[in-house]
Amino acid sequence: MNANEYRTPGEVLGWASEYVAGGGTYVWNQKVCASVVGIARITPAAATAEDQKPTIEVIREKERGPVPEPGTVVTAKITKLMPRQAAAAIVCVGPKAVREKFTGIIRQQDVRATEIDKVDMPTSFRPGDIVRAEVISLGDSRAYYLSTAKNELGVVSATSDAGAAMVPVSWQEMQCPITGQREPRKVAKVV
Amino acid sequence: MDFISPEGLRLDGRRPLELRQLQAEIGVVEKADGSATFEMGNTKVIAVVYGPREVQSRSQQQHDQALVRCEYSMASFSTGDRRRRGKGDRRATELSLVIRQTMEAAILTNLLPRSQIDIFVQVLQADGGTRACCINAATLALADAGIPMRDIVASCAAGYLNSTPILDLNYLEDSGGGPDLTVALFPKLDKVSLLQMDSKIPLDVFEKVMNLASEGAKAVAQFIREKLMENTKQLVLAKGR
Repeated sequence: MNANEYRTPGEVLGWASEYVAGGGTYVWNQKVCASVVGIARITPAAATAEDQKPTIEVIREKERGPVPEPGTVVTAKITKLMPRQAAAAIVCVGPKAVREKFTGIIRQQDVRATEIDKVDMPTSFRPGDIVRAEVISLGDSRAYYLSTAKNELGVVSATSDAGAAMVPVSWQEMQCPITGQREPRKVAKVV
Repeated sequence: MDFISPEGLRLDGRRPLELRQLQAEIGVVEKADGSATFEMGNTKVIAVVYGPREVQSRSQQQHDQALVRCEYSMASFSTGDRRRRGKGDRRATELSLVIRQTMEAAILTNLLPRSQIDIFVQVLQADGGTRACCINAATLALADAGIPMRDIVASCAAGYLNSTPILDLNYLEDSGGGPDLTVALFPKLDKVSLLQMDSKIPLDVFEKVMNLASEGAKAVAQFIREKLMENTKQLVLAKGR
């Protein structure tokens, strides 16, 4: 079998006795066949592996949209403020924009790392703010649970009442460049 | 009526064993996970695939395999006389079922438990052989969506008119009253997935027509593979690697 060739479903890639069937393939009648459209790749077995057969996989070319996973840093837009939590729409996972709609929730206790019981939601976020947050869990069936309890997480971009993009002045305040008005936020320390 | 002229040409100028011109386009609906249009001569079908996604109604969820759903409809402008055609009439229900069963046999449903795959097929222009065309369009859309399949499914119709086996009937030939047989098969596995015929014909004639339809389906399969390759190469180019 030649590697790095385009394959379509059903094409025979090799004998199951010579290869391990990887992603995008299946075994039928002792033959490894492709199950998706893509490029066939052969990776030799790891030196420590018990079975010294190389693995065949077929890699799709069409990418799926990224999905938030626990531990990843996402960019989200605050959509709604509630007394104990803020709802946000996830727009990016890492550097990649999402294709579908994902909602996240930042709970009161996940806004900052210290004095977590004294957090006041309206002085931390406003609807429309762009925040960087970490996904802490898959949450309930409706939303991911997000956290901004780190120095580098929090509001990265916000507009003032005057409509200008505000400048951070401390980790708890942002200032409008036009009116000079200061507004409280949980500001991210962008490095 | 004479369906084959003394020169051996059909009403649309084809030879008895000739397919109509095939055309296909992949990725025609931006929002969908997979989509394709498939044309066999003047018959044109669009297929759109959503999924694998979460099952919409919990009660239908299957814990060991994916739920495949299919909805077939015919655009009101698809035939000569403009007529309102729903998706609930007998013909549409039967075709939805046939397409669903054919595609379900191809999809490796056991790899995608607790999920749902929706296939929507709509006939944009009807000129005979819509059944086959729908299955071909659905295959392309599923492959575009990246859903794992045993093999691609290719389908083609054949009939028997004026004592001659005829490949890929158009509307006039379809309504000619002769037997009409639709075959869908897995070309690499060499297995038949669908075989439909609603009339009585002698066994030796049936075998001829069946072989002809299978040959037609294999030719369609070759075309589908070429289209998929072409599309994949374009995706690679678009990514700049």
